[in-house]
Amino acid sequence: MSSAARNASNAGPGSAPPLLDVRDLWVRFRMLDGTVYAVNGISLHLERGETLGLVGESGSGKSVTSLAVMRLLPPQPAAEVDGEIVFDGRDIAHLPEKQMRPLRGRDIAMVFQDPMTSLNPVLRIGEQVEETIRAHREIDSGGARARATELLRLVGIADPERQLERYPHEFSGGMRQRVMIAMALALEPKLLIADEPTTALDVTIQAQVLELLKELTTETGTAVILITHDLGVVARMTRRVAVMYAGMIVESAPTGDLFADPRHPYTVGLLHSIPRLDGALGMLRPIEGSPPDLRREPHGCPFAPRCAWRLDTCWEQMPELRPPEGASDVVAEHLVACYNPVTATEVELARPDRPGFQPAPPPRAVA
Amino acid sequence: MNSNHPLLQLRDVRVHFPITKGLLLRRVIGEVRAVDGVDLNVLRGQSVGLVGESGSGKTTLGRAVVGLARPTSGTIVFDGEDVWSLGRDERKRLRRRVQMVFQDPYASLDPRMTVGKSIAEPLEIHRLGSPAERASKVAELLEIVGLHPSHTDRYPHELSGGQRQRVGVARALSLDPDFVVADEPVSALDVSIQAQIVNLLQELQRELGLTSILIAHDLAVVRHVSDAIAVMYLGRIVEWSMAADLYREPLHPYTVALLSAVPIPDPAVEAKRERIVLRGDIPSPAAPPSGCPFHTRCWLRDKLGNPEACASDLPLLRSVRSGHLVACHFAEELIA
Repeated sequence: MSSAARNASNAGPGSAPPLLDVRDLWVRFRMLDGTVYAVNGISLHLERGETLGLVGESGSGKSVTSLAVMRLLPPQPAAEVDGEIVFDGRDIAHLPEKQMRPLRGRDIAMVFQDPMTSLNPVLRIGEQVEETIRAHREIDSGGARARATELLRLVGIADPERQLERYPHEFSGGMRQRVMIAMALALEPKLLIADEPTTALDVTIQAQVLELLKELTTETGTAVILITHDLGVVARMTRRVAVMYAGMIVESAPTGDLFADPRHPYTVGLLHSIPRLDGALGMLRPIEGSPPDLRREPHGCPFAPRCAWRLDTCWEQMPELRPPEGASDVVAEHLVACYNPVTATEVELARPDRPGFQPAPPPRAVA
Repeated sequence: MNSNHPLLQLRDVRVHFPITKGLLLRRVIGEVRAVDGVDLNVLRGQSVGLVGESGSGKTTLGRAVVGLARPTSGTIVFDGEDVWSLGRDERKRLRRRVQMVFQDPYASLDPRMTVGKSIAEPLEIHRLGSPAERASKVAELLEIVGLHPSHTDRYPHELSGGQRQRVGVARALSLDPDFVVADEPVSALDVSIQAQIVNLLQELQRELGLTSILIAHDLAVVRHVSDAIAVMYLGRIVEWSMAADLYREPLHPYTVALLSAVPIPDPAVEAKRERIVLRGDIPSPAAPPSGCPFHTRCWLRDKLGNPEACASDLPLLRSVRSGHLVACHFAEELIA
C-alpha cells in the first residue's frame, strides 16, 4: 500500500484513532465468464459521530464497499476481498462469521434502499423489532416489547402499540423506512451505514426521513456512512464526502470544500450535469461518454476516456489520492486523485482553460 | 387547422379504476380516483411539465392523453377533435400524432428486436413507406437522437441505459408526431447520463417544434425543460403557472412544501434554507379526504388555525395572479 493512501486513511498524529479505517480495499467478483473489478484499492476513514457521504453513480462501488464493511457480500459469486477494514481498533476484513455476528446489528447497523425487501413479510413488525433487541441483549419479552414501543414512538410512528401488531405490507414506504431506522438504531450502534435510504421515497417523505436520521444519529452519537447518488442529499446531511468512480475514490473533502472548490474533473462534471432548483437555467453540461466496463482490469485513471483534462500519464497509471498542489494546511483534508486537477477558474467553465494546454476531445460514442 | 386554439384541451377529465372483490362473483367495492377532474390546455409548441408524487395521477393522466387509458368522464380534445367520440379508424389516424416516451428503457423495448426494427415498427403498423424508405427514416432518426448508424443492428441488451432511452425517443419520433408525452424519461438513468437526455429532449423540442408533456417527480428536471407547470396532488391539478413564476413564487402550500423538500446540491444554500416538512403520508386515492385533498397535511391550514372551509369545500383552480392558477382557499396568504 502506498504512503499517500496511508496518509489519507489516518486522521493525523496526535488525534484519536478513527472509528473506521478502511485501507487499500479491493473487492473482485470471480464470475464464470471473467472477473468484475468492483472496488479497486480504496482507503477511507470515519471519526466517531461523523457523517460521511459516499457519492457515485451505478457501478461506482459504493454499495459493494458498504457490504464489505458489513461483511454481507454474497457468497455467490465469490467475492475476493483484499485490504484492511479496521473497525474500532480491530481488523474485521477477514473476521470469522462467528465473531462478526455480535458486531453486526449491535456495533454496525445498516439501512437499505428498499424497506419492503429488508423486512420479513410474514412476521409482524413487533416480532422483527423485538428480535433485533433480543439477539444482542439479555432482556425478557416484556422488556423487549416496551423497548420496541419506545423505538417506534421515537421514529415518529403514532399509536406504536397497535402498529407493532401489523405486517409490513400494511405500512407505507415511509413508515417501513422508519421501522428500519428504529431497528438499526435500537442498540445505539457506533456506525450506521445507510445505503440510498430515501431513494425509493417521494420527496416530501424523503425530507421527513432525512430529518429523522439526522436527529437520531446526533442524539445517539452514531457515525453514519450515507451512500447516495444525490448530491443534494449529501449537501444537506454530511460533514465530509468521498466521490467514487469505477471502484475508486477520486476525490474526498469536507462537504463545503467539495462543492465550493471541486478539483477532480469527474466531480466538476457531476456538479455541472445536475439540474437544480436554483441558479441559472439553460442547457445542462453533461459528462459525455459512459462509465467504464468493470469487467476489464483497471489500468490508468478510469475517468481518462471521458476527461478533457487528461494527460498521457493518465492512460498508464492511476493517480494517488493526495492533497492538490498548493493546498494549505487548513484544507489538508481535501484529497484528489488526479494528475491534472481542475483549477479554480476552470470550475465555472467546466473545461480546461490555460495557455498551451490542448483539451482532450470528448468521447465519440454516446451513452 | 387553427393555430390559435390549444392543440390539446382536457375538460373535467376523470379516470377512475374499480376495486373489485370476489373471484366468481366480482363485485365493485370501491374505486381508485386516479385522475379526478382535470382541466388543462396545452398550446401549440408549448412544453408542459406535470409534476407530483406517487399516487398523484400524473402517469394515468399522461396515458389518457395518448389514448392508453379511457377517461371515465370528461372530454379530451386534440386539435379540435373530441378523441373519444371518433370512430376507431379516425382515432388511429389521430393517435399517430401523439406519441409516448416511457420511463424504463429496459422494459419498454422488445429484447428480441434489433434497434432498427424497434424504431421502424410504428411505421409498419401504420403502413407507412416502403422498406427502403423505412430504413432511411431509421438512419435519420438514429442521427437525430445522437446514435451511430451501426446501432441499427444491435439488440437492447447491448446498449447502455442512456442509449436505450435514445432509442425510445427515436421510436416515439418515427411517426413525426406533433405531440409527445414523456413519462419520467430520465428517472431510471444515472445523473451524468440524465443531463445528456434532458438536453436531447430540449433540442428536439426546439428543432422539431414539438408540443409536449413531461411527466416527472423531479422538480429540478422539469424546471430545465418545461415552459409551464402543472402540480398534481391526489388526481387534481392544484397549481398551474409559467415555470419561472412557479419556482419564484409558488402559491399553493403543497407546492411550497414540495419545493422546500428538494435538496439543493450546495451545502451553503442548504444550511440557510427553511424547510417545511409535511407530516404523514399521501392519502389513498381510493379514499381521498373531504374538502381540499391536501388539508390533512397542510401546514398553511395549521398556521391559519384550521379553518373549516378546507375540510368541507373543495377549492377550485382559480386565477390568483395573471396566468397563475391555484386551487387553495387561502392562496392569497402566500403572496409576499
